[in-house]
Amino acid sequence: MKEPENICNEKTFNHLYESHGKPVWRFIYFKCGNEAQADDLVQEAFIKLWQNCAKVTKEKAKSFLYTVCNNAFLNEVAHRKVVLKHAKRQSEKANFQSPEFLMEEEQFREKLKNAIENLTEAQRTAFLLNRIEGKKYTEIAEMLNITVKAVEKRMSQALAALREEIGKV
Amino acid sequence: MNTMKMKNDYLLHKWLNNEATEEELEQLKADPEYASYAQIADASSDFEIPGMNAETNFEAISNKIKPVHQLQKPKIFSIVWKVAAVFALFLVGYYYTTTLDTTIITEIAQTETFSLPDASEVILNSGSKITYNKKNWNHDRELFLDGEAYFKVTKGNKFSVKTSEGIVTVLGTKFNVSARDGLFTVVCYEGLVSVAFNDTLLKLPAGEKVQIENGKSTINGAAENPQPVWLSKESNFDNVPFSLVLKEVERQYPIKISVKDVDTEKRFTGTFTHKNLDLALKSICEPLQLNYKINNNGVVTIETKHSK
Repeated sequence: MKEPENICNEKTFNHLYESHGKPVWRFIYFKCGNEAQADDLVQEAFIKLWQNCAKVTKEKAKSFLYTVCNNAFLNEVAHRKVVLKHAKRQSEKANFQSPEFLMEEEQFREKLKNAIENLTEAQRTAFLLNRIEGKKYTEIAEMLNITVKAVEKRMSQALAALREEIGKV
Repeated sequence: MNTMKMKNDYLLHKWLNNEATEEELEQLKADPEYASYAQIADASSDFEIPGMNAETNFEAISNKIKPVHQLQKPKIFSIVWKVAAVFALFLVGYYYTTTLDTTIITEIAQTETFSLPDASEVILNSGSKITYNKKNWNHDRELFLDGEAYFKVTKGNKFSVKTSEGIVTVLGTKFNVSARDGLFTVVCYEGLVSVAFNDTLLKLPAGEKVQIENGKSTINGAAENPQPVWLSKESNFDNVPFSLVLKEVERQYPIKISVKDVDTEKRFTGTFTHKNLDLALKSICEPLQLNYKINNNGVVTIETKHSK
């Protein structure tokens, strides 16, 4: 009776941008570590979505966006390092720590930041999607179009690499 | 040890997936390696990355989409245009066909009787052609004749028969026009006919006949019959070159005539029938002292009697 909902109207499209725009952008940013490039890729993905609006249902739109970004990213040769910022909010616990501990904590964060930036793209994307975006393995697997087992592997590798890097310095 | 590591790995991933209990976390942290993993993972969660500027990106997307948007509109319109074009084509076609000239052509040995839009009657003799415009007929009673035809014109506006030899204009009458090979014959059976040829204008009353050969009036006199003889399946000639007579025979019978040693410029006056070829040939050949022979291949040879 009802036609399968496509996204060829501005209202639906705008809604999709509101709900998926930022997560997709961050996803790309984890991969490429470049804001301008992330902007380009997000724009490209949404433009492709619009051009294919007749073929993509509302349900498929999300995976369409991630797939397009993945493919577009793989086509780009030069990747930059992810530039991470320290969280603005300090964890509440920290307020009760001694200044020495805070210093150590600060050093530790700095090392960690550098270590993360040195991860491979595959490890970093999976790791940060889990850590910063709070994505479950199943979600990450879906976004990256890999198996959950592969996500597990990347996470383990990432943690091992980070531990080694931090211990080394 | 290995099983321990496997168990800890399982717990680690469970914890990373936010699905581990407090006890499980404690269990995990009992192993110094996994404790440091947990610490690293925990600390990593506190990092922030730059956010997207949603507005500027959306603007950029909108700007790039717009051309696509505009391209899609013509797509929808183009269907409308296509439909409109088809309709327009039909309309033009309809207009064209209805305003197109109507042409009536008769083949050899065939006559055609038809009515014009104003109920005027036309009988077209063999091998003739009439062209007129149905749409314009009420404005302009005008037709083009190539050959011979008999007209019974309903009273009304000026009625013109245009031929290559001249123009016959009437108001309402019965008349016959023949325009062929330089011979232009008009016979008026009723009413008054005006005949224009070259720069001459001639009024032809009922019962009169005018024959114009190559632009010159050769006969101007009384009509022999109350209606054209060809209507009763005969052809009649009055001091006409023999070549034209032969052409008329070829129009009335499906034959070809070849002549041998015959002066086709000789004048002929007489009649032949359309019903019997042998009789017809006899009636044209006898007066001129000619012999004829009908061959099997539809060719008739005519030659002078005395040549041996």
